[in-house]
Amino acid sequence: MMTIIEILLQAFFYGVIAYFIIVNLSYTILLMLSYREILYYMRHNSFSDYRITVQSELTPPISILAPAYNEEATVVESVRSLLKLNYGKYEVIVVNDGSKDATLDRLLQEYSLLPSNQVYEPALTTKHVRDIYKSNKPAYRNLVVVDKENGGKADALNAGINVAQYANVCAIDADSLLEDDALQKVMKPFLEDERVVASGGIVRIANGCEVVNGRVTKVALSNKFLPIFQVVEYFRAFLSGRMAWQGVNGLLIISGAFGMFKRDVVIEAGGYNHETVGEDMELVARIHRTKLEKKEPYRVVFVPDPVCWTEAPESVRILSRQRNRWHRGLLDTLLIHRKMLFNKNYGVIGLAAVPYFLFIELLGPVFEFVGYFSTIAMLALGILNINMTILFFIVALFYGVMFSVGAVLLEEISFQRYPKARDLAMLLSFGVLENFGYRQITLWWRMMAFYDYFVKGVRTWGTMQRKGFSRAA
Amino acid sequence: MSFQIFLILALAATATFFVIVISIGLVVHKALHSKKTQRQQNLYTEYSQQVAEVILQDLPVLPEDSTASGVFDQYEILLAPLKDKLEKMSKGKRSLNRKAVKLALIDFAKDVAGETSDRLVYFCYSLGLVDDEIKLLESKNWWDRAQAAHDLGVLKARRAVTPLAKTLEDENPDVRIQAMQSLVILGGVHSLQTILVKSRNISQWTAIELSIIVMRFKEEAVPFLIDGLKSSDQSIVLFCIEMLAEIGFVSAVESLRTMARDYPNVVIRAKAVEALGRLGDQRAEGLLVELLANPFPNLRYKAIEAVGRIGLRSALSPLEERLRAGPLHEKILAARSIAAAGPEGISLLTSIKNAENDVLRGVAHQVLEEFHIDPSLA
Repeated sequence: MMTIIEILLQAFFYGVIAYFIIVNLSYTILLMLSYREILYYMRHNSFSDYRITVQSELTPPISILAPAYNEEATVVESVRSLLKLNYGKYEVIVVNDGSKDATLDRLLQEYSLLPSNQVYEPALTTKHVRDIYKSNKPAYRNLVVVDKENGGKADALNAGINVAQYANVCAIDADSLLEDDALQKVMKPFLEDERVVASGGIVRIANGCEVVNGRVTKVALSNKFLPIFQVVEYFRAFLSGRMAWQGVNGLLIISGAFGMFKRDVVIEAGGYNHETVGEDMELVARIHRTKLEKKEPYRVVFVPDPVCWTEAPESVRILSRQRNRWHRGLLDTLLIHRKMLFNKNYGVIGLAAVPYFLFIELLGPVFEFVGYFSTIAMLALGILNINMTILFFIVALFYGVMFSVGAVLLEEISFQRYPKARDLAMLLSFGVLENFGYRQITLWWRMMAFYDYFVKGVRTWGTMQRKGFSRAA
Repeated sequence: MSFQIFLILALAATATFFVIVISIGLVVHKALHSKKTQRQQNLYTEYSQQVAEVILQDLPVLPEDSTASGVFDQYEILLAPLKDKLEKMSKGKRSLNRKAVKLALIDFAKDVAGETSDRLVYFCYSLGLVDDEIKLLESKNWWDRAQAAHDLGVLKARRAVTPLAKTLEDENPDVRIQAMQSLVILGGVHSLQTILVKSRNISQWTAIELSIIVMRFKEEAVPFLIDGLKSSDQSIVLFCIEMLAEIGFVSAVESLRTMARDYPNVVIRAKAVEALGRLGDQRAEGLLVELLANPFPNLRYKAIEAVGRIGLRSALSPLEERLRAGPLHEKILAARSIAAAGPEGISLLTSIKNAENDVLRGVAHQVLEEFHIDPSLA
């Protein structure tokens, strides 16, 4: 006769196996979908001449929104890089969100900015806008700087949307670097299909790359461990995750670092949410919800080629804060939009995307943590089948490696941004190495996000210190 | 063996299988890709040299009484060694080599003109490359159809005009735009007629691509664009209006005026109004002023912008009305058009900047600043 403990353990075992199969099956499906989508994109792209968007008068203008908070180290160079983008007509709106450092002064001085009489129409409610500045130099005529009281990134973006004069707005991080043709590429889906309401570009890690005059001129891996682990993670998230979801119009995240939206659709959805740290994901979720509830045709797409380079955290402390914040943002978004979970009225979003993000992305760390904890507990109780546990961990490791290798493969068959064979070998090695320590550390940070959210009630961003992009010698 | 161990082993086997397959796939892809690229590059280099020799080789002058086909006989003699070489190859090898020949010919075709170009076109026909490409227009893969449509234009294959015209109705927009571009290479400005008649539901991206083609011809394209205004497809009508405004040829004013006044679709009426503003012809002024009071907001906004572009003093009074009565967006548009009317408009705005209404005052300040007039001095 089986004891109750044995029955419970067996039930637990089958639960773990079932969850493991579901997770890995989901990842496999996403990887396969991504493969199909990337192949289509590569073929489709080979017939596109993006220069036409610069040549033609028909190209719609864009308002670029760059919120800045305490960015004195990088803001001047970032804005200069934005002003040199290769696109027809566009304006750059930098929103100084009540910075405590010299962000605004640096901008005023560098770009000869003066207070403007522009009428501020608050289509979205924001904290008080103190002034709107424009330059008296013709070279900077498309630069607008909004100075406002501190209200957070979402509030700053909403102020930017209010000031924007064009129908398409592109939200970026002020400290990110866009490639010359990034706007042309992220804008293309809107021009090809009028149902497209939002489009996100890929974010890549610039640590280790050579940056000259605000442009990444040489792509290479960092010589530090943490950024390389993040490169592999970004491949998985962007190439194998978002690429697949966009194929079925189930994309729930457009990175805050680089995303294009139809201005009227954002206003219709209510703008960015001030109350969450995951304002980028929350906005996309709300756009889906608004459009599905109104039964209006729409599409949210991801474009894997327009590149936005960002500086990844190199210290454990800052990375832990970032991951904690991302997980709180995910948790918050899923709580706000819990109505969509398993609700057939929300189609793919309700039946696939939200459940995936809930059970796999959000609760994955919890299940994994319980797995580790119960293994230790069973070991202490002397009831652990050690051989089988080792075997299971090896299987889990294999699957982890498989998806990392799969994501690197997607990069290799498509964009090949890392030209050296050494870099490819490094990425594959880190895809294996991340399972021994790095994965467990990020798991802990994500677990702490639950504690911070529910127990400590933390809803703020925290700080992220930038050291600025490294320059070519 | 217990079921649990069996389950774990099954999962391990699956994972191992996938890891091995993906890893091997990665390595094999990398190796095959570089090998294939190298092989294609070698073949391309080899055939580029051969093609260069045969298209640049001097031919003996033909006697005056020779027939028209005499020159083709000469071309055929030049081509004979290459044809023989390809004939002797196995089917698979021949296909690979023909592809390299085609790539070499396409690259030369982009740069040559005159008799050399004729010679190259003849080679393409004689080697059967044109027929191959025409067949590819029927391929089930859209990317093969798009590539074939592109290549036929570069190869200047006039035989392909009819199949390319049919391709304008292809389901894939990439194929359609390649066909449009090739038809323009083959038939010049007259191809626009076929393109505008056959195209349907063109996206904004296709319109941008097509606009680049139209702008190569400018005034020559105007009659075809005016014809295009009669299309039953809204996207084509909008495109033709946009292009007529862009080219700036005033022969379109009458047609546009009629559309702005009577067309059943407001979107198209608004576009025609915008175009009239850009053309700036006096004949449209009365109609534009009349439309400043139109109940359709978008039509009215376009009319406000249009009179602003022309700088109409006669519109000051209705513009002031819109400035006072409209929503903020309309107020700003109206203020800009008032300022564009010259000193009288500036004087009107200056008087408004002292108005009691905060919004009106703000709008006047903003627009005076946009026109580089210091509001404190105005």
